[in-house]
Amino acid sequence: MATKVDNAPVDFASLAEGPRVHGSVYRDPEIFQRELERIWYKVWVYIGHESEVPNRGDFVRRQIGLQPVLMVRGDDDVVRVFYNRCRHRANLVCLADQGNAKKFVCPYHAWSYANTGELLEPTFDEGYDYDLDKDQFPLVELPRQDSYRGLVFASVAEEGISLAEHLGPVTEFLDLFMDLSPEGEIALDAGVQKVRYKGNWKYMPENSMEGDYHGPFIHKIAFELFSRRSGLDVGTLHEEEIPDVIRSLPGGHMVEDYRGAPLAPPKGEPSPARKEYAAMLRERYGEEKAGQLLGTMAPLLYVFPNMIYIMTHIRTVQPVDVDQTYSYYYPVMLKGAPEEINRARLSDHEFMFGSAGFVSPDDVEIMERNQVGMKAEGNDWLFIGRGLHREREMPDGGRSGFTMDETHLRGFWRHYVKLMSGDAE
Amino acid sequence: MTPEQFLYHEAQLMDEMRFDEWFALWLETGTYWVPIDPADEEGSRRVSIIHDDYLRLEQRVDRLKSGSVLAVEEARGAMRRIVSNIAVTADDGAELAVESNFMLGIARSSDQQFWMGRSFHRLRREGDGFRIAGKKVLLINSRREIPLLQFLI
Repeated sequence: MATKVDNAPVDFASLAEGPRVHGSVYRDPEIFQRELERIWYKVWVYIGHESEVPNRGDFVRRQIGLQPVLMVRGDDDVVRVFYNRCRHRANLVCLADQGNAKKFVCPYHAWSYANTGELLEPTFDEGYDYDLDKDQFPLVELPRQDSYRGLVFASVAEEGISLAEHLGPVTEFLDLFMDLSPEGEIALDAGVQKVRYKGNWKYMPENSMEGDYHGPFIHKIAFELFSRRSGLDVGTLHEEEIPDVIRSLPGGHMVEDYRGAPLAPPKGEPSPARKEYAAMLRERYGEEKAGQLLGTMAPLLYVFPNMIYIMTHIRTVQPVDVDQTYSYYYPVMLKGAPEEINRARLSDHEFMFGSAGFVSPDDVEIMERNQVGMKAEGNDWLFIGRGLHREREMPDGGRSGFTMDETHLRGFWRHYVKLMSGDAE
Repeated sequence: MTPEQFLYHEAQLMDEMRFDEWFALWLETGTYWVPIDPADEEGSRRVSIIHDDYLRLEQRVDRLKSGSVLAVEEARGAMRRIVSNIAVTADDGAELAVESNFMLGIARSSDQQFWMGRSFHRLRREGDGFRIAGKKVLLINSRREIPLLQFLI
């Protein structure tokens, strides 16, 4: 458990208000500890997708905040999230990042657990001079677990709002990228790129969702190369600002919704696989929705606090320390789509993302420099005021702004302040 | 030129960011591949760190030398590698398979990084020298969280 800092005389509401954010939220170790308690160990956190554990016994190792967990599909076909900790002396029960296991055997004193969590065998149990009740020592499940269309979430907190309440209107946007599959199902079965950077975790959601503003400056060469290669001119997205692209949603979620900003159609005749894919989408969704799915980019989205969807992949954000973060990039494959479509998605992904891609490394470099710049405390306020004068209240309780506005960042910080002050869950 | 001399030459071009000269070593059939899982096979639908065909490789080089990649400038003149444990594992007269280890150091303002791995070159004999017909690099930390890889490896 994190160090308690409950008596810290910090007024969190004053650290982010309106168009400004205080630099200490990226830099102060005590604030990081408070984030673990009030955010990471309180709210729903994305763990993984059920397609990562397709078979009974499949597992993946994950983390909530700094706490190690396991997502396992048990022999009863139920996907559960356990703390990765032996009930005996708290050793890691599982070291592997992923795999398949009939049972988990702790390496320390070989206590073993079924992949459904029950304690099978405390070793040398004749040495326990009382009746050791095995039922009292299963792997501990996370107290709250739920899923949305295969996306598994869990929470460390015993009580709180439901997953449906946490997600709220962001499900509309989650649906849009998952609907790119002709079967309405995605598969995270193409592996994962793992990236580390020396910077605070909050840079990742902020930077990931405001690419329209920084893109022309730090991704210029990549956008040029991408346009030349794909015929899709993503550069046109920046040419004139469009209202209602930038969205903040209740719950701190952020969206870049491009449905009002159709892409110029790709040059040349579509390939047979492309045509087949288009026909599949028309078949499933009808002409209008299929046209929308094909003619624009699925909305970019951030589900508070740790899940991002961008173009080709689900990205997760994993805090390590106040100035250290891991990020994981899982290419999203579309079930039922022609193989060529998924291979093209994977190739586009490798073009843009990961440590050696042509786009996201520029962001990571910026985040690392941001952490250094933030050490200068002269005037310790960041300014996120773009579009403040023109943001609109939306019926879903969020706000909307133009393409390069910082409306969604302000929404993120409003929610952050509520959680840190104990006024939301 | 021996395979050893060729690998040393290639290493020097990469260290000194002589991108055009390095790219000129490649045959158009070449694939530059840095997988994540060493067990992945060429052509499997698994995401890689780098998986460049010749066109993508040209784009990589164009980007690196464009002057607008933030992470590149700091590494200029601040990177050296040692190539060692070289073994020719196959040779059909026209083409050789060569394996080697490397250790690479980079000095950055924020840290000094060390990268290690094993390279698998396919080298086509051409005149007195060689051209690269394919290159796979297995990083020792490919399955872990890695920092930016914005240079040639």
